[in-house]
Amino acid sequence: MQLRIFEWFSQTKQDGARSTAKDRMRNMLTHDRLELPAGRLESLEEELVAVVSRYFELDKDTTQFDLQQYERRASLIANFRLLRSKC
Amino acid sequence: MSGRVIVITSGKGGVGKTTASANIGVALATSGASVALVDMDIGLRNLDILMGLENRVVYNLVDVVEERCKLRQALVKDKKLPNLSLLPAAQTRDKSAVDADQMKALCEELKSMYDFVLVDSPAGIEQGFQNAVAGAEEAIVITTPEMSAVRDADRIIGLLEARKDEIKEYRLVLNRYRPTMVQNNDMMSVDDVLEILSVKLLGVVPEDEEIIVSTNKGEPVSGTDNVRSGLAYRNIAKRIRGEEVPIMDLEVKNPSWMSRIVSFFNPTVRV
Repeated sequence: MQLRIFEWFSQTKQDGARSTAKDRMRNMLTHDRLELPAGRLESLEEELVAVVSRYFELDKDTTQFDLQQYERRASLIANFRLLRSKC
Repeated sequence: MSGRVIVITSGKGGVGKTTASANIGVALATSGASVALVDMDIGLRNLDILMGLENRVVYNLVDVVEERCKLRQALVKDKKLPNLSLLPAAQTRDKSAVDADQMKALCEELKSMYDFVLVDSPAGIEQGFQNAVAGAEEAIVITTPEMSAVRDADRIIGLLEARKDEIKEYRLVLNRYRPTMVQNNDMMSVDDVLEILSVKLLGVVPEDEEIIVSTNKGEPVSGTDNVRSGLAYRNIAKRIRGEEVPIMDLEVKNPSWMSRIVSFFNPTVRV
């Protein structure tokens, strides 16, 4: 009831199927366009972490991978927080 | 005269390609241009039905290509618009009956006779699609705001991009748009779809029961006044001709206080 009253005043649902569809769509098309099989990106990420870890001590909790699309072209943005070099 | 050859395509079936072809053809012809509609959906002929011309089909596209008749003999004139003609598909053959080179030659000949040659492509991304785009320099991609249709449209856009040398421009028509569902955050919006596909917009056609009525009558809705989907198609035709026409206001106006109170107590009543 509370929710319906809220919806009645705001006139829009905050969390509809629209944003879910958009997120799924983005993800799906990124994979489609690259012809990227499921799981492939994850294994690349693991290998990248392993390679960088040979040179640096990493803050693994803050390591981030982001596959972005700009004008139908994908870029993989990797962010490693480096603690100190291993040498 | 050298006309423009525009292929109308979608990837997914059932999103309104043929309806769009018929309506854009009628709208362009109403505005004074000469138009040839080419049904490339060989084996699944439908454009003649939408145009109400199914009883006038004598020869078809395959007859022309295989030289059983002259091109002019196969072209069926529209009932109302003398500057609009249909080149029907063959119903009893399959997609391999015409190849890409034959299609190119056919489009060359039609281009010399008409301002616009609109090619209605079959669904799918296989040979039928490749043949349909063979003679075209521009493309219109039709989709609805549903995920499966958008995904297939993306495949088509990828294939059109790969033909950059031939296809100079492609634009999107978003069909069966439901503004109320978008406003309720239940469906992707025009901007959502454009952002996801990174494509230029040619037009938005709202969901409209009049489309079914007009199909049953064999009179495309763009020839009728006071119908929203018809107006959307006329705007699309104007944009194709280079006019700047804003996308029509699709927003559903706030319902009155009274109707909101009614719907609050009885959610099944649609206002």
